[in-house]
Amino acid sequence: MTREPMNLRALIGRNVSLFIFLVLAVCAACFVHNFADRDNLVIILKQSAIPATACIGMTMVLMTGGIDLSLGYIVGLCSIVSGILAKSLLLPAPEVVLIVLAVGGAIGLANGLITQYMRVPAFIATLGSGYVIYGLAQIVSQGSIINRLPKPFLAIGRTDLLGLPSAVFIALGVALVFHVLISKARFGRQLRAFGFGPRAALLSGVPTARINVLVYALCGTLAGLSGMLFTIRVNAAQPNMGGGVFTFEVVTAAIVGGTSLFGGIGSVAGSILGVLSIKIIENCINLLGVSYHLYLAVQGAIILVAIIFGNMTNRRA
Amino acid sequence: MVFSSFARRGSLFLLPILGFLALGSFIPHFLDVSNLLNVVRQSSIIGICAVGMTYVIIIKGIDLSIAGLLAFCPMVSGLLMLAGFGIVASMAAGVAAGIALGLFNGLMVARLAVPAFITTLVVGQISQGLALIVNGGRSIGAFPARYVFIGNGALLGLPVSDLILFLFLAMGYFIQRKTALGNHILALGGNETVLRQEGISAAKVQFLVFGFSGFCAAVAGLLLSAQLDTVHPTQGDAYQLDAIAACIIGGVDLAGGRGSIPMAVAGALVIGCLRNALDLLGVHPFMQNVVIGSVIILIVFLSGVVRRRTELATRGTL
Repeated sequence: MTREPMNLRALIGRNVSLFIFLVLAVCAACFVHNFADRDNLVIILKQSAIPATACIGMTMVLMTGGIDLSLGYIVGLCSIVSGILAKSLLLPAPEVVLIVLAVGGAIGLANGLITQYMRVPAFIATLGSGYVIYGLAQIVSQGSIINRLPKPFLAIGRTDLLGLPSAVFIALGVALVFHVLISKARFGRQLRAFGFGPRAALLSGVPTARINVLVYALCGTLAGLSGMLFTIRVNAAQPNMGGGVFTFEVVTAAIVGGTSLFGGIGSVAGSILGVLSIKIIENCINLLGVSYHLYLAVQGAIILVAIIFGNMTNRRA
Repeated sequence: MVFSSFARRGSLFLLPILGFLALGSFIPHFLDVSNLLNVVRQSSIIGICAVGMTYVIIIKGIDLSIAGLLAFCPMVSGLLMLAGFGIVASMAAGVAAGIALGLFNGLMVARLAVPAFITTLVVGQISQGLALIVNGGRSIGAFPARYVFIGNGALLGLPVSDLILFLFLAMGYFIQRKTALGNHILALGGNETVLRQEGISAAKVQFLVFGFSGFCAAVAGLLLSAQLDTVHPTQGDAYQLDAIAACIIGGVDLAGGRGSIPMAVAGALVIGCLRNALDLLGVHPFMQNVVIGSVIILIVFLSGVVRRRTELATRGTL
């Protein structure tokens, strides 16, 4: 890498996600009434916790060069499963958590095994499994919604700590663990090597098959966790939760956070900033009273801009 | 070896045909002429989408935008029609919107090297969002009788929907077999170097293929709305997976370079029959999705196994 003068452009180029986040936050604070209120900022944090948890998993999958299009449907299945366990079977909260994480992890594991050993491209494997999971969620729930969940279960994500619900701290904890895993540990180096070139990584002794399967399993587990936190937040377990819209939101956040679609590049910090950025946009759309449906289209526009921008910076490098 | 050469020609779909006849003899009313005509009519949407999708998959892409286009294009036409514009002009506007979005997909893939699945996913999501925004998330309906006739009427005893499907089949087949573009598409999917040596722009081919897929999705969307006499802003969701499944069942290879339009349309009919048979048996649509999702993964897996075996065999290492 050549040494370049510390000009503004280089500074921005190296911290694109931080720059996007700051620009959005400053613009929103200046131009949108009520945005900078303490209550509103707490709402943004609360709303970001759930997609952030899922986005960390998606970031790792994108870093392998794959994608998990079934993520949103895992959220729906885990939502209804957690509702059934907590309300219909009256299981204690810790057992519910363990079973839900296991369900998410098992589905993710299946995705990983299909992509790795059955050699089905990730987008088609997870597109197919997404429909299977969505169907299963509808069948398990028999089309109904379970609400008024038991108090001890709700306490997992709703306990008040320093004025924020515990879900935010759970997300923060997950983020810290995975930040260490991805940016400081051997796992992260192997993941990046695999993402940049699977063949070269294999030849240099990286257990590529294990990494690839593990990443999908972790992504499924985190999707399960975010499905459960989502259920707790809205106090209703429903099979339609998440879905394709949620998957898209999470992919958008990861891309805005600087994750490369071609694999190899990505970070937890970037993805968290990505989630916060798109949640700021969603929040502004709400505050301005514009149709919520606009959020979908705006997300699409953002992801395109992020891809084109990322493409150009890569080319320059 | 018999099996692999058989499968190479995409004949994996003969198995469902045998299954279809076996099923048909067990399910009451399945083999009635009126039911079968109905199956073809229902399959026409999937079939038309599958024609465009086949080309996209041949050039190693995928089109995940058709779910959005199937809703957005008829929404444009429908709103214009209800605003008093002529039927032909309104439909042309909807089709033009589909072609434009398809060309945009092509532009992203050809010029910016964005993976097809991501750009089409994004364009699908944007058009889905637009379909919801333009009418505040509400459905529209009660269209002019002449428009509804396209979806439900019959000419010479054959449903108009079936005729349109046949038209697309013929058009797709003609492009693939009789034009230079058809050869270029196959070359782009199979061996890009040859294409470059011939001095043909890969970008141009990609551009046209995605544009054509957008065109197919727009026409299918208009036909769907004519059949239902409604435009629902999320009506496309159910058809995207079926269109991909139709291509895959018809032996179109996700690894690119191989696929035939008639087989993909046959695949659409297989999907239509499967859904119809499961409906008659009282299987819930959600369960049907579980089946179709699993079938897709299984067929892609099997065709990959067959492809690698034949590759090894042609290299003489097996």
